[in-house]
Amino acid sequence: MSLASTASLKDQPSMLARLFARQELALLACLILVLAFFSVTVENFLSVRNLTNVLGQASLPLIAGIGCAIVFISGEVDISIGSLLATIALPLIIIMNDTNSLLVGVSGALLFGLIVGVVNGYLTAYAGINSLIVTLGTMFIMRGGVYLYTGQRAIPDDASLDSFIALSDGRLFNVIPYSAVIAIVLLAAFAYMMQHRPFGRQIYAVGGNQEVARLAGYDVRRVKFICFIISALLATVAGIILAARVGSAQHTAGLNFEFQVVAATVLGGVSLAGGIGSLSGMALGVLILQFLSNGLRGLGLPTEWQLVITGMIIIAAVAFDEAKRRRANGG
Amino acid sequence: MEMSELTHASAPRRSIGGQLLGSSQLVLGLILAALCIAISIAAPQFYSEANIIAILRQCALVLIVASGMTMLIITAEVDLSVGASLAFVGCIGMAVLNSTHSLALGMLAALAFAGGVGLFNGLVVTRLRVNSLIATIGTMMMLQGGVYLFTREAVQNHNRLVSFTDLGAGYVGAVPVPVILAALIFVVAYVTLRFTTLGRYLYAVGANEKAVRLSGLRSERLKLFAFVVTGLCVGVAGMILSSLMNAGQPTAGRGFELTVIAAVILGGTSLLGGRGSLFGTLLGVLVLKVIDNGIIILGWNQDLQMVVPGVVIILATYLDIIRNRANVR
Repeated sequence: MSLASTASLKDQPSMLARLFARQELALLACLILVLAFFSVTVENFLSVRNLTNVLGQASLPLIAGIGCAIVFISGEVDISIGSLLATIALPLIIIMNDTNSLLVGVSGALLFGLIVGVVNGYLTAYAGINSLIVTLGTMFIMRGGVYLYTGQRAIPDDASLDSFIALSDGRLFNVIPYSAVIAIVLLAAFAYMMQHRPFGRQIYAVGGNQEVARLAGYDVRRVKFICFIISALLATVAGIILAARVGSAQHTAGLNFEFQVVAATVLGGVSLAGGIGSLSGMALGVLILQFLSNGLRGLGLPTEWQLVITGMIIIAAVAFDEAKRRRANGG
Repeated sequence: MEMSELTHASAPRRSIGGQLLGSSQLVLGLILAALCIAISIAAPQFYSEANIIAILRQCALVLIVASGMTMLIITAEVDLSVGASLAFVGCIGMAVLNSTHSLALGMLAALAFAGGVGLFNGLVVTRLRVNSLIATIGTMMMLQGGVYLFTREAVQNHNRLVSFTDLGAGYVGAVPVPVILAALIFVVAYVTLRFTTLGRYLYAVGANEKAVRLSGLRSERLKLFAFVVTGLCVGVAGMILSSLMNAGQPTAGRGFELTVIAAVILGGTSLLGGRGSLFGTLLGVLVLKVIDNGIIILGWNQDLQMVVPGVVIILATYLDIIRNRANVR
């Protein structure tokens, strides 16, 4: 845009600059900076217990963030995930209370999530309605539906299945919370899909340039449709873990969760414009925000300050990223 | 509207009747009429003077902020921080009123704060080039946290200023003061968008920012203007709200941003920018609030107030798309 930025394009970027041009490396440096800062200022910050606790807390935004990032990369948005988190707890808890089976309950929840994904995906990809409007609508509908059904009272988990409770406080080898294990496995699987499978490439192509993707023979509508289903199913998994954690179906569960996930995803370098970003970037974005709020709590700052600082960091990070991108593009 | 004509210049010229039928407001007007008729058949008290005034008063807050938001969305930006800002403004305005006992100073503080928030959002979006959805999520978090740092409890009304109470609860003749304020703001915004060069530039920025820049206009300034106007609207709405509740509530305004955006979108303003009208926004606000009112006077479960608007937003947008397709053919 400016003369200075076009001039800088001609200069050979230094080694360090080239390293930092890699989104993930810059994010990793940020994460290390956060960790280093709090390891000095907060006692026991780097203890295994605290680190794994944060991982457990990060698992919800990590799992839902995968779906959020994939939908973003396809060039759409999904802000219904917070409401979905609360909604799928209903079939889950009700079915489990009825059948005493985790498997049936989870299947019911996943089926419900699938239906929501199909609705979001159909309305966006095939009916052609702006995805922000569609998911704003389904967000309202689901949240209102949960309020209606529960009468604003929590539905407790009466089955108290060991396997269900283990989802919240069980740990693999007594170290890593199961929820974090689920998040890592899902992250690895979807990162593999995005980078190494044809479908992943189709998602990038569709988000990058819809017209070109169509001309290349990709079924743009189908790709977007499936992305919404993936997002809804992943949010369902996050919702199941959340329900296990609170031991009930809560009508206020996941309130503002979508904003938290969207913020972390964008912080991780996934562009709202589509076609740009990676799941590892999203994961780093989530971890930075989670360690930040954990560390600030360790410093004894009230939750309010955490909100304020998180807000500032999101704006600063995206602004920094934008400036870097403009410099790299020379305008 | 002019710009939307320009951007769809390839579409064949239509007759006046065709234009009227093709207007997206017509669909919305029909929905509104159908709603009013259906509700009044089921509950005749719908058309009572008291109820109509109640609906208008409910509309006022949303319409005030939606007037600014329509301008902003026409420039292809959005502001999600208006709900959090609304609560903060109410608390600050009330605190200033309590300490100065001057409505003018309280109002000034509210406008300065809310305008400042708008300016901040605008600068972050135009100078730092942060996507407005993200920038205003960030501001929303800062304001939500900030309001609790400012006050943990509601700021009660200790000033007992009659003029302040009138702001929310007063009447001029039979018309509530908030409705008059909303009407004033709406008319000013309508005239600006429809009949001034500035308004036409706002459409142009949303439709094609690059072209606007190349033609020598400062697109950043236009967007900044829309952000500040939205902020100032929040300032007015925040003061009215705190007057209505007789306190500055830090928890007020939750989800308000979504109601406002829903009304604007329902009114046919495109999130992509460059297309939309304030008249549509007015209809959008009316539809949402008539639905709210209908649910109450029919004695239905009030939680439906979330479900029904969700369905209406999707349905109205879908009808608009079908109408557009039919027009192209």
